[in-house]
Amino acid sequence: MSRFAPWAVALFFASVPLWIGDQYFLHILISTGIFIIAAMSLNLLLGYTGQLSLGHVAFFGIGAYTSALVSLGFDVNLLGWTVTLAPKPVWVGLLCGIVLAGLAGWFIGKVSFKVRGAYFVIVTISFAEVVRLVALNWIDLTEGPMALNNIPPLTLWLPWLGETTFWRKTPNYYLILVVGLVAFEVIRRLVQSRLGRSLIALRENEPLAMSVGIDVTRALVVATVISAAIAGAAGGLYAHYIRIVDPDVFLFIYTVTMVIMVVVGGKGTLWGPVVGGLLFGILPDFLRDMAAPEVQWVIYGAVMIVIVFFLPQGIVPAVNAWLRGRGASSRDAAATPGEDRA
Amino acid sequence: MSAASPEPLLEIEGISVRFGGLIAIADLTFDVGEGEIVSLIGPNGAGKTTAFNAITGYLQPTSGEVRYRNRRLTGMKPNQVAGIGVVRTFQKTSLFAGNTVFENVLIGLHKAGKQTLAGILLRLPGMREEERRLRAQAQEVLEFIGLAHRAEELASALPYGEQRLLEIAVGLAARPEMLLLDEPASGMNPAETVAFMKMVQQIRGRGITILLVEHDMRMVMGISDRVVVLNQGVVIAEGPPAAIQRDPEVIRAYLGSGAARA
Repeated sequence: MSRFAPWAVALFFASVPLWIGDQYFLHILISTGIFIIAAMSLNLLLGYTGQLSLGHVAFFGIGAYTSALVSLGFDVNLLGWTVTLAPKPVWVGLLCGIVLAGLAGWFIGKVSFKVRGAYFVIVTISFAEVVRLVALNWIDLTEGPMALNNIPPLTLWLPWLGETTFWRKTPNYYLILVVGLVAFEVIRRLVQSRLGRSLIALRENEPLAMSVGIDVTRALVVATVISAAIAGAAGGLYAHYIRIVDPDVFLFIYTVTMVIMVVVGGKGTLWGPVVGGLLFGILPDFLRDMAAPEVQWVIYGAVMIVIVFFLPQGIVPAVNAWLRGRGASSRDAAATPGEDRA
Repeated sequence: MSAASPEPLLEIEGISVRFGGLIAIADLTFDVGEGEIVSLIGPNGAGKTTAFNAITGYLQPTSGEVRYRNRRLTGMKPNQVAGIGVVRTFQKTSLFAGNTVFENVLIGLHKAGKQTLAGILLRLPGMREEERRLRAQAQEVLEFIGLAHRAEELASALPYGEQRLLEIAVGLAARPEMLLLDEPASGMNPAETVAFMKMVQQIRGRGITILLVEHDMRMVMGISDRVVVLNQGVVIAEGPPAAIQRDPEVIRAYLGSGAARA
């Protein structure tokens, strides 16, 4: 797509609150936007390095919990010492969430520096499960299943608007839109750089990548850190929008949802997670008006199977190929980012 | 070792590689002088590719060491070996198959760039300047190798002979001082092979030392300064091509002892 496409899309979505009065639908769009940001971060790993992180929700949850806890303040007994933190402004919490999620990404990248394919999947799943258990059982800090409540919404000083607190749907919608655009642009710049080429080289042919001097381990660690930090940002935004966080944010199903968004939209493409995210974020809501709940999920599943079956590369590559004409069909066939290709 | 070689650039000293009970190479010793074209030949299973892997860090020898300009290569990771100028290609066609020809070379140019994360995220002028330079260099490499007209095609869509050329282009993009080519001409037709022999000479003309593993004897004998013959993991002969062709030991290894009289 052309370089102006992001702006056109951004303008369109910026206009949405002007002609959609339905607050509930706006809420759906906000949640979808948060998921799209998380899916974009997953795409950086899954789509560009070819490594499937099935514990991606861990970074999302770490961002959510960290941001919530820093803005709520806490005091916790740690090995005999009492650690107390007074409540901090929400934006500080968000930054802490991003940094801590990034650190977690660094840890995962380092731990799994030699594991690829199935082993990377196992490391990431285990990590997410461990983090979930910590959130569930460290009741002093996280309130466990009772959840962190009354999380304050984000307050920012904005030009023209002054001090703004994001209580209502519309400002939150614009907040997510802006963060989404920033995340999109960060990922776009990354993958179109020397670092991005290293990631693609790792995905396509790791031995060959090493033979030209690419430190694939380092590239993977950097990608994991950035991916985790973006997922952490999404998690933080989620916490201050929904204003309650419980250990269910670590549920495996959320990772699966992100993977579905990326794969259906087109992994390894910038627009894939956006398209896949919009489809699977909004589809359930359309179905709600049309069909009984049990039928909804059948339709949801059927749509997924049909897309994966007929467009194995995802929607965006298929559309691109269609735009470019018949000559491009061979490209899709070859662009499969094989996980264990060596 | 050989009196003919100028100062040794790459020294392989007594390396052995064992896979469990199997001895792939045993006490392999030879060296390659700066600017030379040296061929490593031998029947299938003689240990040539294993030697390449041991030199370039893809596997660590059980004993012995490899030195390059008096620096130990043994123990380094493949990307570090490439980093100091020793670049290898692979026996089986090895490309970034899902990328275009141009992108393949651009990835190969990794070492020619040094972008920082800040430079990338902020699109700093230095980074954009470097991208322009890398693209120009990629174009140059493609013109040298003769694939400029294929730049926008997918690597996997090229005919086999051109895929082999693209592998060399990717290797050249990594700015080697020394290039290790593992059966580069396999799969090329005779005309392509002849053209490729000229190209190897041109690559040497750029000051790049070449170690070659190849089965095409016309090519080996036509371009090598020296030939090292391996059989069952052991060097059985070494010398200029003309001497190697007459060496009874070599003839026996290739054709079996019954044919030695021929």
